[in-house]
Amino acid sequence: MRNGDGHSSLRAQGVSVTLGGRTVLHDVGLEANPGEVLALLGPNGAGKSTLLKALAGLLPYEGRVEIAGVDVASLSPRTRAKRVSYVPQRSLLRSALSVEEVVALGRYVHGGSFGGMSNNDRDAIDHALETAHADVLRDRIFTQLSVGEQQRVLLARALASNAPILLLDEPTAALDVGEGMAVLRLIRTLAARKHTLIVVLHDLADARSTTDRALLLKEGRVVEQGSTADVVSPGPIRDVYGVSLIENARIGFEPADTDTE
Amino acid sequence: MRLYPLLFLLLFVAGVLAVLVGSGDLTDPVLRDTFLKLRGYRLAAAFLAGAALAVGGVVVQGLFRNPLASPSVLGTTAGASFGGQVALLAYGVAGVGGSFIVPEMLVPIGCFVGALGALAVLLLFLRVTQDLLALLLTGFVLSALFLSLSAFVTSVAQETWELGRAVVSFSLGSVSGTGPRQLAFALPLIAVALVACWFWGRSLDLLLSGEEEAQSMGANVGAVRWWSAIWVSVLVAGAVSVGGNVGFVGLVIPHMLRPFAGTKHRRLIPAAALAGGIFLVGCDIVARLVPSRSEIPLGVVTGLIGAPLFLLLLIRLRRERAYA
Repeated sequence: MRNGDGHSSLRAQGVSVTLGGRTVLHDVGLEANPGEVLALLGPNGAGKSTLLKALAGLLPYEGRVEIAGVDVASLSPRTRAKRVSYVPQRSLLRSALSVEEVVALGRYVHGGSFGGMSNNDRDAIDHALETAHADVLRDRIFTQLSVGEQQRVLLARALASNAPILLLDEPTAALDVGEGMAVLRLIRTLAARKHTLIVVLHDLADARSTTDRALLLKEGRVVEQGSTADVVSPGPIRDVYGVSLIENARIGFEPADTDTE
Repeated sequence: MRLYPLLFLLLFVAGVLAVLVGSGDLTDPVLRDTFLKLRGYRLAAAFLAGAALAVGGVVVQGLFRNPLASPSVLGTTAGASFGGQVALLAYGVAGVGGSFIVPEMLVPIGCFVGALGALAVLLLFLRVTQDLLALLLTGFVLSALFLSLSAFVTSVAQETWELGRAVVSFSLGSVSGTGPRQLAFALPLIAVALVACWFWGRSLDLLLSGEEEAQSMGANVGAVRWWSAIWVSVLVAGAVSVGGNVGFVGLVIPHMLRPFAGTKHRRLIPAAALAGGIFLVGCDIVARLVPSRSEIPLGVVTGLIGAPLFLLLLIRLRRERAYA
């Protein structure tokens, strides 16, 4: 069985999703590799989040999704979750769990039936909290955190599972510029550690700054796929969003200090 | 954590009181043993039923992510209750089963058949719809159906005074007539179901974040739903078969415990089993203490104590924003 430090690529072929009789995703193919960040881009309703959920095995789909050559559909939910971790935009958790308890949920896939927490579990939780810069939040109640803090905790929960592949659904949406930048830098850190990341992004500038390759969707179909610089370029952006891309027109930001890393 | 020492102390106190309190005179050497034995059965029945209902409440509240859920939302409580009443009626009117089943076992068996019938319909719908809301609605409809059938049985039973009394008393909940055979029947079922619920505890923890997130974290959501429905039904059937239809335990006890035991199910479930048992033993003592022409039905006492307790908890929880 492939464990935490194993690297895995994810490949999808001919993935289609039909929801309520309507086909919202047509014949999508993609590939993501260790050390690489793939952006899923497109206007609202293009099917980005649907695609991400299908890859995570949370929606019924046609076609084939493979992890390291193995068909995901043949895996049990537990085995799948050991390889792919999905981070929702917001958690539906409403109970008064502490941050540490929330992150510990990510260890579910590694627990035995009787399981208290093993030393491995504790190490993985500590490591995940540290990586996501959420260790200071450890004893706080999850529901009382800001959206940005919650996002970091959800990332830590995903990291605690040691899954090599991470699927993030709009991780920077609703975050302020500082929080958003912290999350984007974390994404780069994880890529440097040979995670495979697929990230739904709204902000094309974020995609340009953070991701290596991109897949541009429109009405459930892939319009363009390739390096992010090629995909986020005047031609495809005009076709899909109906706007002209102006290079260097946006105000840029960068971290003011470097002591966080 | 001082929760468990406290619970065991309470259990000890409630146990001693349950044996000492009552209308019988313990100084009479001839009757003393009989009284003690009867009160012992009663204590065991109340504890078992309370433990089963409280844990059923914890599981159902986790499954539906709804703090207002009680084990009766699945409809299997009403099914068990209806089954028990039909068994009473069948025995009283036609003497059914008298020759091949010991009469006192008719009601427990009726309860289980009733609960299993309701469960079968529930699982059938669950298999077809795969949807939590559909499960809740099916449970609600089943509950309504069995309650109206129960009302019909109750009205039919009024033709004989004795039978009418037995049916009404059963549906209001009572542990006063529970004997060793019923206990021996319910104990293993409840014990197995309690352990099974504890095993599902980790999956129920994941469900606190909703089904989609739970699934993404590796929970087999379909299996959790399926087995939760089954084990809660077994718990409820066991509880009804030794204690009749007793409400409020499954709703109040989980709420009372969460501030102390936390939200994690593996901690909550054993604590709820103890606390639920203590609560019902306590309610049964109150039922014996309050002066009235006959004993106040147990289901009435749990309501009288449980409703104000629940409202108090609700105010406190709201103030602390422990529950969104």
